[in-house]
Amino acid sequence: MALRTEELMLNMGPQHPSTHGVLRLVVTLDGENIVDVRPDIGYLHSSVEKMMEYRRYVQNVSLVDRGMDYLIALQNEQVYCLAVERLAGIEVPERGMYLRVIFDELQRLASHLVWLGTWGIDLGATTVFLWCFREREMILDLFEKVTGGRLHHAYFRIGGVYIDPPPGWTDEVKGFLDYFDRCVAEYDKLLTANPIFLARTKGVGVITRREAVAMGASGPVGRASGIAVDVRKIEPYEVYDRMTFDVPVFPEGDCFARYQVRLEEMRQSSRIVRQALKALPGGEVRSRVPMTMKAPRGEVYVRTESARGDLAIHLVSDGGEMPYRVKIRAPSFSNLYALTEMMRGWKIADVIAILGSIDIVLSDVDR
Amino acid sequence: MSVAQRKNPVGEIVGAVRALATGLGLTWQVMLRRKVTVKYPVERLPVSNRFHGLLALPIDPETGKDLCIICFQCERVCPSRCIHIEAQGKGKERVLSRFDIEMDKCQYCAFCVEVCPTEPKAIVFVPHYESSTFDRSTLLYNLDDLHRAAPKEPIATGIVDVRHRRAAGNHNGAGLAPSAARPGGTTTP
Repeated sequence: MALRTEELMLNMGPQHPSTHGVLRLVVTLDGENIVDVRPDIGYLHSSVEKMMEYRRYVQNVSLVDRGMDYLIALQNEQVYCLAVERLAGIEVPERGMYLRVIFDELQRLASHLVWLGTWGIDLGATTVFLWCFREREMILDLFEKVTGGRLHHAYFRIGGVYIDPPPGWTDEVKGFLDYFDRCVAEYDKLLTANPIFLARTKGVGVITRREAVAMGASGPVGRASGIAVDVRKIEPYEVYDRMTFDVPVFPEGDCFARYQVRLEEMRQSSRIVRQALKALPGGEVRSRVPMTMKAPRGEVYVRTESARGDLAIHLVSDGGEMPYRVKIRAPSFSNLYALTEMMRGWKIADVIAILGSIDIVLSDVDR
Repeated sequence: MSVAQRKNPVGEIVGAVRALATGLGLTWQVMLRRKVTVKYPVERLPVSNRFHGLLALPIDPETGKDLCIICFQCERVCPSRCIHIEAQGKGKERVLSRFDIEMDKCQYCAFCVEVCPTEPKAIVFVPHYESSTFDRSTLLYNLDDLHRAAPKEPIATGIVDVRHRRAAGNHNGAGLAPSAARPGGTTTP
């Protein structure tokens, strides 16, 4: 006689510590097997898009820092500044653009380090967490010396960056990168060949290229499924067209591929920062933009490659001092909804490993 | 999957032992390196003097008066609207009668410092990071507090190295009350 079974619905979160923020997952289980996963979002909604309509263009720089993805504050500032600059036709001096690229890539490193560390914790590896945060601390110190902030900088300005780095800062960055390249080799040594790590990640949470495209997955999640798209290559902004770097693409689509993509991206980011430091020209860092600037009537859509994927802003102006409407295309949001496809058929024990591997930030998902 | 189900159990075990040895060897190496953590209240890490810690109003050392020319630009640019300024008198007699900053609202963006038209700046950020408190009302800084928070001398460019320096006061926890942690004393508005 067969045992009568029924599906079990399990709530994970919103206060679960390993859901990386306030995310609720409604997991439908058949025994230990996952039948369906529905992410329930909205706990961190801060209506940043609406708030931006009530602040002047210049003031919004400090809002996108914290209203969107708080781990990549500088990249948020960058996409916003690029949008306003393209709309109003503002030129950025060379030095400003190079500095933006340097900060953009350092921010990517910091964000990937948080991801690798927290994912390590998710998989039960505390060592890598402590190591990653050790290096991230150094990056935050480098930021602090220039911007005065550690997480929320308000450093990029419409038309450039706020202020020149202090003397000797570029040498410090070079010194850090020399150290950091050794650190990445250590992470590689610690994790990539570790059988426990491989057992938990290789072949787990597979999403095919077709599904990834259908779900709008971008960034490292997309590239781990074979989508060879990097906005820095296909629609270069700032001075990325002058930089030489590779875009890591892996066809497997599993957690291990996502790990490999991000690890390789760290190496590439370090490479870009070196090139930018070498080519860093002198001169002004910003063009003067009045605090009460007005953008001409019109709209603009700007894409950038953030640490999580395709971060874009659609900005509409009615010719006033404030944006008329702002729509943010959050990469975490699209990547999160690829989760259902990734998790179907896996065991309950893999939920955290798979969720951690897509690297979401809930303030980016909810905005 | 148990060991018995695997195709090559011996190879698996050898691989696992090797990986374990690699990991342990690496962590052992790191353990012998210099420590990166500090015992916080006794030792402190260096803070950049560009650090956005606390807003302050420096006083002109020559005249002993505010550097502020009461142009209201910082009040206008503040995205959180946390600066409140009032002035009395007319012409050259015009003086600040109120300069309040709600530090609990402040988002440390330094737009106010950026727009300040005077040279040197009449409003600055000082790298003081121990301004947390148990009472929210103490975060309303008035003119006197902002004067007291001001640096005694102009902040040089570079990094303030305070690592391994013993902080003043006792370290039994009592010395770190919010009032003591504030520069130059406390306020009760």
